[in-house]
Amino acid sequence: MVFQVNFKSGLPVYLQLVDQIKAAAASGALRAGDALPSIRPLAEQLRVNRNTVAKAYTELEGQGVIETLPGKGCFVRENATPFRKEVRERLLSQAIDAALVQAHHLQVPADAFLELVQKRLKAFERQAQQNSNSPRSEKENV
Amino acid sequence: MSVIEIENLVRLFGKAEAVNGLRLAVRPGCCYGFFGRNGAGKTTTIKCLLNLLRPTFGRIRVFGLDPSRDEVAIKSRLSYVPDAVAFYPWMTVRETLNYLASFRASWNWSKERELLDRFRLRADQGVSGLSKGQKMQLALIAAIAPEPELLVLDEPTSGLDPIVRREFIQTVIGAYQEGDPEHRTIFVSTHLISEFEGLIDEFTIIEQGRTVMSLEADAAREQFHRIRARFTDVPPALDFKEIVKANRDGREWEVVVRGNVQPVLDRMQACRPESLTREALSLEEIFMTALA
Repeated sequence: MVFQVNFKSGLPVYLQLVDQIKAAAASGALRAGDALPSIRPLAEQLRVNRNTVAKAYTELEGQGVIETLPGKGCFVRENATPFRKEVRERLLSQAIDAALVQAHHLQVPADAFLELVQKRLKAFERQAQQNSNSPRSEKENV
Repeated sequence: MSVIEIENLVRLFGKAEAVNGLRLAVRPGCCYGFFGRNGAGKTTTIKCLLNLLRPTFGRIRVFGLDPSRDEVAIKSRLSYVPDAVAFYPWMTVRETLNYLASFRASWNWSKERELLDRFRLRADQGVSGLSKGQKMQLALIAAIAPEPELLVLDEPTSGLDPIVRREFIQTVIGAYQEGDPEHRTIFVSTHLISEFEGLIDEFTIIEQGRTVMSLEADAAREQFHRIRARFTDVPPALDFKEIVKANRDGREWEVVVRGNVQPVLDRMQACRPESLTREALSLEEIFMTALA
């Protein structure tokens, strides 16, 4: 898994990491039970403070995306959100609103926006499909 | 409780005000940047923390203690690396580390070994033959091995080659915090800010001995934006108190916004720009903006 941070995006670095790990879990690039990199090597690779990585992992744990096993590290969990339906919808609405604002500023009309949503959904499904078909050498070695 | 607490620090040299009303607080486990130009008062402040200088006025606490009264108690819990390091030239790397370890209550030998290996420093090398960068690496190993609660670094990368210095400061900070990150605090002064982008949790900018700005790094990057817009016709007039810097070049605007960026974006958007981009400022650019 290769993560990237961009200091110019204006989004806090730890949230960039949270988003990337969640995207990887959604697309199947990371599966339930997969280990996340330990904090120090990842911090060194990304040239960020270990606190930033630790904060991202804490946030992911709070959102139920990963779990920490003491002495072993952090692992991706089975997809089980700890949030109730209303909370889930509210969180998702916020993300959609942000995309809608962006669409407005980029002068993307409503129908084109919806079309794009469909396209992205398909892309995610395709990627998840590919990820589940491809052999995983590190698992076979175990 | 804050690891370092400075309130209204004043330090005069004759009539010259090296530090004049500085305040800051550093919480445990944080990597704290102390940014300022040469002569802004950074080193004077650090010397006051270590009781190498007495404040003319103001209050300093390190681990809740007063450096002028509890100097030894404070120094036994921290490591300080000055901007220019010197060792006894007749000693080898091994002898130097043994000598420095003899002053310390504890010494993590495996961490020492790990860093010697990573920096490719040979233990039997004489220190007089080390380059400037290697001497700094040796000083940092000696600072980290006792596993102090606070690491005070004064311009640790100045004078080093630009390729190595970023990686090397990353390695040092990573190695230092590993083990007990909540109780390992770093206070680093520098004017080479871009190298510390990503490593800094919080920072203070000092200019002419005064605090110009104290912020968390993420909050700072959320607060400062650059917008570039090109219009088909005459660009709109911009009159927003959030704009701290504006350049107009023909049909283009380049503005730096502090605070809410949305009203400025909306105004520009209403004028149908040909292109419109926005990005966060880097810490170095924030530093430049703050001192402009």
